[in-house]
Amino acid sequence: MTSRLKHPAKGLIAPQNFAGGIALILIAAMALWLTRDLDPGTLSAMGSGMLPRILAWAVCLCGVVLFVSAFLKSGERLERGNLQGPLLIILAIFAFSATIRPLTIGPVTTPGLGLIVAVPLSIIIGGKASAEARIRELVVLSLGLTPCCMLVFCDMLNLPIPVFPQAVIEIFPDGWSAKSILRISALVMIAAAVAVFYTGRKSGLADSGESE
Amino acid sequence: METFLSNLSLGFSVALGLQNLGLAFLGCLVGTLIGVLPGVGPVATIAMLLPITFSLDPTGSLIMLAGIYYGAQYGGSTTAILVNIPGEATSVVTAIDGHEMAKKGRAGAALAVAALGSFFAGSVATLVIAALGAPLTRVALMFGATEYFSLMIMGLVLAVVLAGGSVLKAVAMILVGILLSTVGTDLETGDERMTFGLIFLSDGIDFAVLAMGIFGVAEIMRNLAQPESRDVVRKPIGRLLPNREELRQSWAPVLRGTLMGSILGILPGNGAVLAPFASYAMEKKLAKDPSRFGKGAIEGVAGPESANNAGAQTSFIPLLTLGIPGNAVMALMVGAMTIQGIIPGPQVMTGNPSLFWGMIASMWVGNLMLLVINLPMVGLWVRLLKVPYRLMFPAILAFCCIGIYSINSLPTDVMLIGLFGLVGYLLIKCGFEPAPLLLGFVLGKLMEENMRRALILSRGSLSTFITEPISAGLLIVSAVLLVAAIIPNVRKGRDEMFVE
Repeated sequence: MTSRLKHPAKGLIAPQNFAGGIALILIAAMALWLTRDLDPGTLSAMGSGMLPRILAWAVCLCGVVLFVSAFLKSGERLERGNLQGPLLIILAIFAFSATIRPLTIGPVTTPGLGLIVAVPLSIIIGGKASAEARIRELVVLSLGLTPCCMLVFCDMLNLPIPVFPQAVIEIFPDGWSAKSILRISALVMIAAAVAVFYTGRKSGLADSGESE
Repeated sequence: METFLSNLSLGFSVALGLQNLGLAFLGCLVGTLIGVLPGVGPVATIAMLLPITFSLDPTGSLIMLAGIYYGAQYGGSTTAILVNIPGEATSVVTAIDGHEMAKKGRAGAALAVAALGSFFAGSVATLVIAALGAPLTRVALMFGATEYFSLMIMGLVLAVVLAGGSVLKAVAMILVGILLSTVGTDLETGDERMTFGLIFLSDGIDFAVLAMGIFGVAEIMRNLAQPESRDVVRKPIGRLLPNREELRQSWAPVLRGTLMGSILGILPGNGAVLAPFASYAMEKKLAKDPSRFGKGAIEGVAGPESANNAGAQTSFIPLLTLGIPGNAVMALMVGAMTIQGIIPGPQVMTGNPSLFWGMIASMWVGNLMLLVINLPMVGLWVRLLKVPYRLMFPAILAFCCIGIYSINSLPTDVMLIGLFGLVGYLLIKCGFEPAPLLLGFVLGKLMEENMRRALILSRGSLSTFITEPISAGLLIVSAVLLVAAIIPNVRKGRDEMFVE
């Protein structure tokens, strides 16, 4: 009774469990729908549908219990999360996967831009997910981290990851080796990172000087 | 005794090879480096670095992964002491007294006692594994499909019971994990299950993708929601060697912690998490003046740190002998082994002794290296601690993307980690823990296979699981544990233990 007084919202006293219960029921429903055509078979010769369907019903049962308990036992509230951060993170991941190499989704094919574009893109988009993001810092970070990734993954570990945009690779003269181009561009990027870092510091100092 | 020694010497001959020594060192170093960063625990670290080890041979990759694990664990303790942010559950207790010591300018002593205690515990745990490995494997070899199925049930039940939080939610997550493991082509019938007709799902969900999504990406999303408050110790770290008084106070807690950690770690549940809590509670009870605890008592660092390292190491026992992972890290190890073409279980020791004993010997080597890496380089770690999270997570994100892409060169894999990240984040928001899900996912395929086999052997009769004596015993133990965890009185005690 006391818990009901504390929570004027009638009945629902554990919003987190309420949401959790619904989530489980949805997962179970989706699994049951997806496995609707699979043959469950018999116990002595289990078909492909048996275990998934048993599991889905068990998940559903857990969900129902959780859902009902949300009205009977008080529990934690559902924190209101900011969805902007997670969405930017996902956007960053999608940007990486769309630019690392040509990707065909339906009628659209993205240009393969390679590591040298995909990494800075994901760092800057993803970095904006933090409330304290500063664009200059992110630029320095991406200029500094991208060459390191290029050197470690593509040069030292020799992983088959495209580094440069396909259009750019065709421009390079035949005589140049891919590795030396990679190393030179990595050095240029590191130099750029250092340059941006120091000019940023100076202008930052000048700004604070002016404000005083 | 003779076989014990010859096994160990075989192990050391493998672990001390130049390449494996280098990999162990690299693993420890990278593990510490990433484990020190606040907000990145061992599970996320291993998930992130998993792809790097794919190009190595099985022994080397497992040695490196084990090194990453200990390294991350050590790094977590450093962070707990210096910043008061426990990297993961096992160093929560260390943060209490360790950080108080650091505030009083005794950080050096706390770090040194933690490292020395861990080294001692690690050495003892290595011997325990070596001694128990062979007999337990012999037991496991007698198990058939029926017994295996029941054993896996018991492992999962123990994982639920020993972890904190809601039993119902953990069970639900395990079930969802097993459900996810059934996605893809069914090996027995060739039917496609729950693939939405997508080609890249017909091989099933990639283990690394799931792990990196729900541990790497979802962790970033969770951390972003919390405002950052870091309380890096400004006081000098102080002398790195404990003085005689501190050593005198520490040796008994280290011994007790090691014993407790070794025993709890073997349980196929999350023993490594439980051990430091239990050790802290015991030291507090045994102390002449319990009020010192929480204000910088060195026993409160020495005991739990030894316990967590011993537990972390002996939790390899169920994995290596029975093939049952006890916690999320061990689940990652199973994933790594499967990718290397090794099916975890008793046949690893009999069929591949140099891998088995090499890995065990490398644990001791790794612990020694950590002692060398950690103490002199503490200044470097302190500087790393000052890197703000707003710069760290974009880098982690980029590493995750590159790592996943490098496995199969599939952009769709990269997209999936984003998707699983979001799902994991939403589940965390609803109060679910991601670890049981991963455990269920890893065991799911094996469970289905063994269940099918057991039912074929018994001609479709479910009673085989209760008429076979070993299987019946395992199931009864699981049922008793599960019921006990739900009974209100026991529950209360269990929750209190985690609160303390």
